[in-house]
Amino acid sequence: MLMIRHAIGSRLFLQTEDYSVIREEENWVITAAAKKEELENLIAFKEELNLFVVGENEKTWYYSSDASIKIVGSDKVQVTADHKTVYPV
Amino acid sequence: MIKVFTKSDGHSASNEWVESHFSFSFGNYYDPENVNFGPMRVLNDDIIQPNKGFGIHPHREAEVVSIAIEGQLKHEDSLGNSGVIEFGQVQRMTAGTGILHSEVNPSATEPGRFLQLWFFPDTKQLPPSYEDVNFDINQLTNQLLPVVAPTASEGVAMIHQDATIYLSKLEQGKNLDFNQEDGRKILVYVIEGSVLLNDEHSIGKQDSARITDIAALHLKASEDCLFMLIDLPGGES
Repeated sequence: MLMIRHAIGSRLFLQTEDYSVIREEENWVITAAAKKEELENLIAFKEELNLFVVGENEKTWYYSSDASIKIVGSDKVQVTADHKTVYPV
Repeated sequence: MIKVFTKSDGHSASNEWVESHFSFSFGNYYDPENVNFGPMRVLNDDIIQPNKGFGIHPHREAEVVSIAIEGQLKHEDSLGNSGVIEFGQVQRMTAGTGILHSEVNPSATEPGRFLQLWFFPDTKQLPPSYEDVNFDINQLTNQLLPVVAPTASEGVAMIHQDATIYLSKLEQGKNLDFNQEDGRKILVYVIEGSVLLNDEHSIGKQDSARITDIAALHLKASEDCLFMLIDLPGGES
């Protein structure tokens, strides 16, 4: 499961199982399905997004330090993250 | 201008283990007109039940200050730091490029109250760091005691922002004056009791005042009070 939250207070912007994470050189390109309202929020708060891939015993935290985010088509968001941390839950 | 924000102008949230009062937008409370005051972004007044707290979670690009008011707060982070603070201590965490931490009330019996303040850092991508400092609670009475400032000193934690946090216990009827430089801002937050600002604006527990374009601030305790005064740079609202 992918969750995208506001970095200030963890407000949830997107939760989905429809996503992919692809390694590209030093970055991670995370693409996820999202509805129109979700996309609007993600763009509005693009400087302050934390992305979490939630596993059974661990979470993987990603973020983009330069707010690299774009809309793909009309129903997908793509974030290019340059930071990744895995931690147990 | 002195703009008073009463407790009801903010937002309260609670669950079985924490009761929070948010002075600024936080979590699911979002008011685009109440996001920040200069570089100050978060002011939460939290009461945490015994043996409960905020489990391990990440932060980035924030200067996070915690001030214990009642009870204890235990900090642990991914840098290997740990510490327990109580009244008379303050902790500062630079999230910078990223840090994982937890903040819990370690007491088995007593709830804990603490203030959680976040500031935008003056520099991005700082290396994460943590410190906690002790201040002399006897020095709080009827004066402004700096506990967080841009430059570290004894009893003062260092923050990566041009901001200074003062605490004060002002006895009923006593006065204090704070002179502000041109273009800077002041935030006053009442922790307990009530205080009168410039003989005109009365603020009580969990109320705050956001002050701009005033060179001299006069504070008079309407009753015994504990408050926080934050000297902030000007600029963005």
